[in-house]
Amino acid sequence: MIAPLLEARGLCVARGARMVLHDVDLRLMRGEALAVVGPNAGGKSTLVRSLAGLLPAAAGSVYLEGTPLAALGRAVVARAVAVVGSEEPADAAALTVVERVALGRYPHRGALRPFENEDRRAVEAALEATGIADLAHRRIETLSAGERQLAALARGLAQTPQALLLDEPGAHLDVGHQLQLSRILDAVRAAGVGVLMVVHDLQRAAAWADRMLLLDHGRLAAEGTPTAVLGSKECARAFGVAIRGHAAPGLGHSLYSFEEIR
Amino acid sequence: MLLAMLLPLSIVLAVSLGATHLSPLGVMSSLGARLGLPGCVPIAGPGETILYAVRIPRALLAALVGGGLAVVGACLQSVFRNPLADSGLLGVGAGAALGAVIAVRFGLGHLFLALPLAAFAGSMAAVGLVYLLAHARGQPSLHGLLLTGIAVSAFAGAATSVLLVSTEEFRLKVVLFWLAGGLEGRGWDHLRGVFLLIAAGCAGLWLLARTLDVLSLGDDEAGSLGVRVHAARVLVLTLAALVAGAATAVAGAVPFVGLVAPHALRPLVGSVARRLLPSSFAAGAILVVLADLASRTVSARFELPLGSVTALVGAPYFLLALRRSGDGG
Repeated sequence: MIAPLLEARGLCVARGARMVLHDVDLRLMRGEALAVVGPNAGGKSTLVRSLAGLLPAAAGSVYLEGTPLAALGRAVVARAVAVVGSEEPADAAALTVVERVALGRYPHRGALRPFENEDRRAVEAALEATGIADLAHRRIETLSAGERQLAALARGLAQTPQALLLDEPGAHLDVGHQLQLSRILDAVRAAGVGVLMVVHDLQRAAAWADRMLLLDHGRLAAEGTPTAVLGSKECARAFGVAIRGHAAPGLGHSLYSFEEIR
Repeated sequence: MLLAMLLPLSIVLAVSLGATHLSPLGVMSSLGARLGLPGCVPIAGPGETILYAVRIPRALLAALVGGGLAVVGACLQSVFRNPLADSGLLGVGAGAALGAVIAVRFGLGHLFLALPLAAFAGSMAAVGLVYLLAHARGQPSLHGLLLTGIAVSAFAGAATSVLLVSTEEFRLKVVLFWLAGGLEGRGWDHLRGVFLLIAAGCAGLWLLARTLDVLSLGDDEAGSLGVRVHAARVLVLTLAALVAGAATAVAGAVPFVGLVAPHALRPLVGSVARRLLPSSFAAGAILVVLADLASRTVSARFELPLGSVTALVGAPYFLLALRRSGDGG
């Protein structure tokens, strides 16, 4: 059996005195599209940060290809796992797009190694893949929210990771950019990269994901295909809404409608 | 590049002008003679002594202080992700002032190098206190560090005031002049005393340039790029405190250099630290060399405090820049 690319076993994470994740088991395989959904404050962002080794586990462990993250160096993890967050509109660092994307090579270069051909190729490929090569020399702060998000994604791709973790990257994106994002991620997955994405929009999550996890109050409440998870009573309970799937022939996934439970 | 050429020019200008005017060409010729270049001759009369004993060490010290403060400003702006960050945030200035006032209060002010040494000890004590207090409950947030710095600075400022009013008048002048910033009477000994700290500190910060860029992206992103955020930040802050502490120890408070120099350069050279830090050093050096020149040549009767000159130039520049960028409301 192939070892999962990234795996959490019995993962518990505390923020201060409060336990935010309880006993979470999760597997991300190569080339997989895994969506993490759940109500606000369900622990989704904490999960992403823990999977990248940014937060220590109170119990349980995260494994990268079978090795616990704690046994690997920071740089080793950063070369294999890239995290792209939701871009804040204001950013004090007045870098240009290409400068920002080039920082994605930091795990490979460290503080001192010069910029080599391999780095240049990775940066160019990332700009190309995200379609922002023509913005390369613009300063980040002059970009639109959508372009800024693509620049952040390009930074993650320049890391040439095996696992790409995205925390709600669609928050500032219009529908065109959201479709573009899905297309970019499809191409990334085709190259064998496992993609885990936190998504608020359940409809979009269903359209994109192979598999879905529902996090509620820091616990894994449901797991399976998007149809199975969205149709589960756990999902309805977590969001406090009734979820109905409507067959949409030719679309490849159902369309969903939501109603408040009174 | 341009800045690298302007710096020697500004130093030659600064060592030429003063109560005794020396011709810039004469100065160059004298420097050439010292280097053994053919056809170069020393300056006749007392000019040669004034040049080497007084003006050159003072101008070099001004360059070192200005360059160091500008580099520290640029680094702290990256670490705190705030274009208004400056060495004052770490408690350097307030701690140095308190150290100097304590030395003067206890009658050590006239001892050679006592004031700079006490100021340096004060600034390091203040930075150490900021660090300890901020870490009392585990690793602090940037805001925690910043607010602790403000609190420690305010406390040191209050203690300075209390000591000042209880200090006899004839001692007060020494410390007041130092508080306002200035390089009067500074020479080779002072230069030797701080050269290594400032030069090595700036070189260390420059080697951390790429890490600084990553830190400027915020803790999460920096961590996900493999930086040990906390350790890297402590290293940068330590080097910054050493440089700023040394600069403040010899020159007193020289405000606005750390803000103005990087701010003016960002639109020209960009924000990547590898380029920004050396240019900031050159710009800060030029700024303080010229400000020191102005401080001693504006009036024939007295020297203006260096800190007032940099603030008189820096504050209006800063307001204008804010207005132009639309951040000033």
